[in-house]
Amino acid sequence: MELELKNISVTLSNKEILKSINLKVENGEFISLLGPSGCGKSTMLKTIAGIINQHEGSVILGGNIIDNIPPYKRKTVIVFQDFRLFPHMTVAENIGFPLKILGVNKNKCRERAIELLKKVKLVGYENRRVHEMSGGQIQRVALARAIAAEPTVLLLDEPFSSLDTNLRKDMRELVLELQKEYKITTILVTHDKEEALIMSDKIAFMYNGQIEQYTTPKNIFNNPANTIVADYFLEGTYIDGEIMDNRFLSELFNIDVNKNNGKYKCLIRPLAVRPFKSHVGEFLVINKIYQGDNYLLKLNSTIKDLTLESIVPDFTDIMEGDKVNVEIVKDKLIFIPM
Amino acid sequence: MNKKTPYILIMPIVLLGVLFIFGVINGIVQSFGYIPAFDLTDITLDYYIEILNSPTFLDSLKTSLQISIISSILAVILGTILTAALVYTGHTEGKILQIIKLAIIIPHTIVALFLISILSQNGLIARLFYKLGWISSQGDFPLLLYTKNNFGIILGYIWKEIPFVAYFSLALMSSINKTLGEASENLGASKLKSFFYITLPLSMPAIGKAFLIILTFSFGAYDLPFLLGATMPKALPVQAHIEYIHPDLRHRPYAMAMNGLILIITWTMAGMYYLITTKKNKR
Repeated sequence: MELELKNISVTLSNKEILKSINLKVENGEFISLLGPSGCGKSTMLKTIAGIINQHEGSVILGGNIIDNIPPYKRKTVIVFQDFRLFPHMTVAENIGFPLKILGVNKNKCRERAIELLKKVKLVGYENRRVHEMSGGQIQRVALARAIAAEPTVLLLDEPFSSLDTNLRKDMRELVLELQKEYKITTILVTHDKEEALIMSDKIAFMYNGQIEQYTTPKNIFNNPANTIVADYFLEGTYIDGEIMDNRFLSELFNIDVNKNNGKYKCLIRPLAVRPFKSHVGEFLVINKIYQGDNYLLKLNSTIKDLTLESIVPDFTDIMEGDKVNVEIVKDKLIFIPM
Repeated sequence: MNKKTPYILIMPIVLLGVLFIFGVINGIVQSFGYIPAFDLTDITLDYYIEILNSPTFLDSLKTSLQISIISSILAVILGTILTAALVYTGHTEGKILQIIKLAIIIPHTIVALFLISILSQNGLIARLFYKLGWISSQGDFPLLLYTKNNFGIILGYIWKEIPFVAYFSLALMSSINKTLGEASENLGASKLKSFFYITLPLSMPAIGKAFLIILTFSFGAYDLPFLLGATMPKALPVQAHIEYIHPDLRHRPYAMAMNGLILIITWTMAGMYYLITTKKNKR
């Protein structure tokens, strides 16, 4: 179902947590709320679910304002970070719970639970107790239970943060698979940029109670609205300059760009810097850090007060202490208006 | 901190514990008729047998069980309702907790005096009703204390134990409601359904423990039945005390045998509770 937040402000203990949030999620879309801890992501999720009441603004679901609808009637189901399975029930009873409270008979609840267990690849686990399950299995049950509630919007509150890397990948795939199958409008809260980039149709980047940018993963990565967004995805070196008549002019380099005139910060991320060995090189390799399938090089200019970083393949022959020159890849440069 | 400090700090409780255990053992030994100081040296179960066959004892046992079971069930139900009200209105800390604590620290003897001054035929309510002309004399006010139905004692225990149940189970119920209660509401359960399906069943360990504590306490306690009870039948602890202060000191094994039986019954209650809870946990 389509979800819209209009001018949502939330104040908790006299502190403004959300400041005039506007957000629109299309039916069946998967979006991520990305941002550092304490930026208001989880509060936003709880506001949508009606657990926290907004101070101002409206939550609109499927075209209807739902501000006065109590949480239990909203069908905006959260998969909590700590999963919150009911310890006094079996796995099947947990999954069947949303149906049981609607008055569905016991056998039908169980049938549906078994069906959903199959979907989350936990066949045969219906009679297990929560304490007999691993973290990954508990999460699958929590997901199945949320789907059993037939959510209008599925809200995932950092659900993968407690899982190890391999399990996390499997769970991401499973969530996407189910989201597509059931066409559920989904909002994922995460502070993991990789997770947001991989999974989402759109990313809303939040900072200090506000949405700084809301766009597709590719666009937010390549055209961040400001330095906060840019730095969150991948840090680099900023060069101040000016664009005049489609040319960026700076102390370091001048380059043709297709942008409006004005003052800009040019962000040079490691991927935009290609070093090559040269005896008369302007840069000195001061650090070479192994990162698995590549190396991160730290380069200090011998002429200017400037440090660049570069990512090079693991077969590189550049060593610490080498002199290098750099080629700047124009397409990888990011220009942020000042 | 000196290595010896913990041992020194634990000494008072060890001393008190030793004194208590010594008292219990001494009492049990005496209940078997062994008090050399009074020339009683034959170890026998006769005192127990005699007591178990005595109608006075059986009446007292019935009275004590009636008082403790009724007051504990009512206190647990009302205490749980109070806890739920505090949890759902968000009063889980601050001033309201201090008021609850205050009710817990007031001694039972004071509660008995409150009840006498409020509910007796000379009490405040009787006087008020008389002044308002609702009754023609204070003697017309219904007899609520010292009656065979033990209304006064039960009321006293309920007054004392409702806050205890609330204080004992508040933290658990509040944390369950904040997490799992919230989750169940999010899954479509109303507040009421959430309470009965999730919050209450998961709060039962604390409520059950509170019930056991007040049940055993009200079964073995002496002060309220002594101050507010009927002349006959007397509650078991009162009867045991009467036997204890009997002018014939050779009567003491009867008092001790009664205490022994109180001990056995409370231990049985605790044992049953333990069996029920461990069986539940194993499931």
